[in-house]
Amino acid sequence: MSDAWREQAPLPGGPRTFEFPEVHGTALDNGVRIVHARHGRMPVVSAHVVIDAGAAAEPATRGGLAQLAASALHAGTRARDGGQLAWDLERLGVQLTTDVTWDSLEATITPPAAQLEDALIVLADVVRNAAFPDNEVARLRAEQLADILQRMKEPRALANDVVGRCIYAPEVPYARPLVGSTASVGAITADDLRAFHRARFTPAACTLVLVGDIDAAHAAALGERCFGDWSGAQAPAPELDVAPLTDGPSVHLVDRVGAVQSELRIGHIGVPRTHPDYFPLIVMNTIFGGAFTSRLNMNLRETNGFTYGVRSGYTFRRGPGPFLVSTAVGTDVTVRAVEEVLKESERLRADGVTDEELANARDYLVGVLPLQMQTTDQLAGSLADLVTFGLPLDYYDHYRARIAAVTADDVRRAARSHMRPDEFAIIVVGDGASVRAGIEGLQHGVLHDVKPNGEAT
Amino acid sequence: MIRIPIERYQLENGMDVVLSREDAAPVVAVNLWYGVGSRNERLGRTGFAHLFEHMMFQGSKHVPEMGHFSLIEKAGGSLNGSTWLDRTNYYETLPSNYLELGLWLESDRLGWLLPAMTQEKLDNQRDVVKNERRWRVDNQPYGDWDERIQMLMYPPDHPYHHSVIGSMEDLDAASLEDVEQFFRTYYAPNNAVLTLCGDFEPAHARELIAKYFGGLPRGPDIPPIPGRTELEPTLGGEVRELVHQDVSLPRVYATYRIPPFGTEDYYTALVTSYILGYGKAALLYRTLVREQQVAQDIVTYAFPIVVGASMLVIWATARPGRTAQQVEQALTEQVAQLRDADDADVQRAVNLLATERLNELQRVDERADQLSMYTQLFDEPERINTEVDRIRAVTPERVRAFAARYLGTDNRAVLTYVPTEVGA
Repeated sequence: MSDAWREQAPLPGGPRTFEFPEVHGTALDNGVRIVHARHGRMPVVSAHVVIDAGAAAEPATRGGLAQLAASALHAGTRARDGGQLAWDLERLGVQLTTDVTWDSLEATITPPAAQLEDALIVLADVVRNAAFPDNEVARLRAEQLADILQRMKEPRALANDVVGRCIYAPEVPYARPLVGSTASVGAITADDLRAFHRARFTPAACTLVLVGDIDAAHAAALGERCFGDWSGAQAPAPELDVAPLTDGPSVHLVDRVGAVQSELRIGHIGVPRTHPDYFPLIVMNTIFGGAFTSRLNMNLRETNGFTYGVRSGYTFRRGPGPFLVSTAVGTDVTVRAVEEVLKESERLRADGVTDEELANARDYLVGVLPLQMQTTDQLAGSLADLVTFGLPLDYYDHYRARIAAVTADDVRRAARSHMRPDEFAIIVVGDGASVRAGIEGLQHGVLHDVKPNGEAT
Repeated sequence: MIRIPIERYQLENGMDVVLSREDAAPVVAVNLWYGVGSRNERLGRTGFAHLFEHMMFQGSKHVPEMGHFSLIEKAGGSLNGSTWLDRTNYYETLPSNYLELGLWLESDRLGWLLPAMTQEKLDNQRDVVKNERRWRVDNQPYGDWDERIQMLMYPPDHPYHHSVIGSMEDLDAASLEDVEQFFRTYYAPNNAVLTLCGDFEPAHARELIAKYFGGLPRGPDIPPIPGRTELEPTLGGEVRELVHQDVSLPRVYATYRIPPFGTEDYYTALVTSYILGYGKAALLYRTLVREQQVAQDIVTYAFPIVVGASMLVIWATARPGRTAQQVEQALTEQVAQLRDADDADVQRAVNLLATERLNELQRVDERADQLSMYTQLFDEPERINTEVDRIRAVTPERVRAFAARYLGTDNRAVLTYVPTEVGA
């Protein structure tokens, strides 16, 4: 069989442009915002209620409160207890999901379109009238405390829960884990949750995102019906001062006796979501450690076989979240893996990226956007992010152009500003007896022994 | 009502093709299921089907090393593969104008994998897979539960007795000769389903598929699954294992033998698993978590596997201060209550499952994977549209009869993890 035509990859056909759905934003008289997009071909609608009630707004002595508030939304309202609430949604085939980040709290459902109105009435009741009954709060608090215990034994969670403490100054909210500590969660009362709800769950802090098999007029009418008669004062925005733990390099060891892998987290404070270097940074990170074919993954996985995979990323928040390289490597190659991460970081700063790498990364980011917006829930989540970060609703109409405008100079400048290996905190969760001498030998600042979150300090 | 369009045909070399057009977005999913998984592995080579899957991403005669990943990522696509008990799948989702790239890549590794294989690549991917095992299993609390459950639930000569990830010793033993033999045995058009779902012209797609796959030769007949594939419908006794591990809280995995995926009573099992453990109004969440507060969480899962028998697993983690015995006793009592399951419980589960199906089929990659699955396992891609009917046909009477027959203590394995004694 003659197969000369197989020698080369076939060229693409003419592209069909991805049209981002039209997004409508309106507001009710009381300040509740309604964001709507018609999307997809299945008869479902995703409803995300986004509330400006992230963990950055919780009292410093009550770490984990926002997360407990999110789970305790399932505990019922003034009109229906937790068991009834679950039945009222699940009998319709609908599950309620609640989730919290540092910046917002979201309550989400994706009902069949025919059940949307009934389900949305329940969802609105949850958001507006959450009751936080004492007995259910006590149960859910105990579950969160048990979760903290379990996270101490799970290496990924263990690493993620100590990262904040290793890179932020102790008074910064981001220094503590979202789940809280044994002491802070143990101190949370049902009254604390009710006060948090009263202060932060207000019409002006609330946005209803509706995406799917529904038109704009119907979305507006449902928003009015479910949230129109809600009143409340505006809550003040949480203040956030962010300082690093140290300006210099540091190494942190969490000893897991006998661990066969070391979980690594390497990085420092990043930048806020609305930083002007956002686009150069996501292009840079795609090349560095954000895609399968990134430099880090090719080096640590495909060349060296140190790991099943490695990723880097900026965690974007309203304030500067962390920039981290994350991976799990064989215990015996821990030091070599760290050295390769440092080497790749220095190389990117010194040499920048090639034109080919730049073009590939830009094409990747533009191309995968429609793949990441296939479902009503994905699209609603993306619109919810725009709300949380105060970005315009036509943001994605300009996304491609802004990616395409990133130059090699932009990437190099971004790398030099926002990736500083001499300030990296190197966090190793692994077998101390095997790795301690090696990571001390890196001479990357002082080695700190770190206890797991949840262990008395 | 789900109406996914389906065009199905077969190439002369035996390859099944399913086309499903959905042009809502300019993307296309390319999905292949090969009828080979860990069930086909021979003694001493556990984990090999999965290691082999990794080798399929290492280039082929006309595709350079890392070509799969780099060509697809720079096209703006995503890709991966996965290995399970019954099958291995490979898939990419691409901007629709790159359909031909996906077909070129997939056909090249099916036609010309071996010329690109080297010892160096095998050794590298062996290290990667051993790190995958450490990451998933050895360095994870409860990480070996499915490996242990399979050993408890299936006799040593059954192909599900061993795990997909395999043992470190067997991974060490894998050779380039194994790669060649496995490829020649299982990677043939007559053991594959190719599904396209998304934005394409069917006539053009047929031409491209003929161009890239039509010339590949049919392989020898696929050898039967090794070992004993027939099983008694129930275990006929309770099997138990107690594991001391570095975990914070005790956890109980109660696993029941159930009929294989695709049978009528598999769907009864699926609905039953939702009655028991899916959602906060589920029977076990209501009772063990909310009311008795003996458990911290509940997970239930019916395995969609087809050889001999499947499994319904229920796991529950003890609340601090509660023992594994208390959890197991409460779990057993509540599972016995299913013999009185009522219509509300069944309707709730059925409605949740139906909504879940609607939601997941929004994605072209999920549609393509399910079409490949129903074709590979049952020779019936149309099941993607009738699956919800099979679920809706489950009645309280069927759940009660199913519970009486399959959910007794004499048809289960109980795997219990307890924290290692301090200082022990």
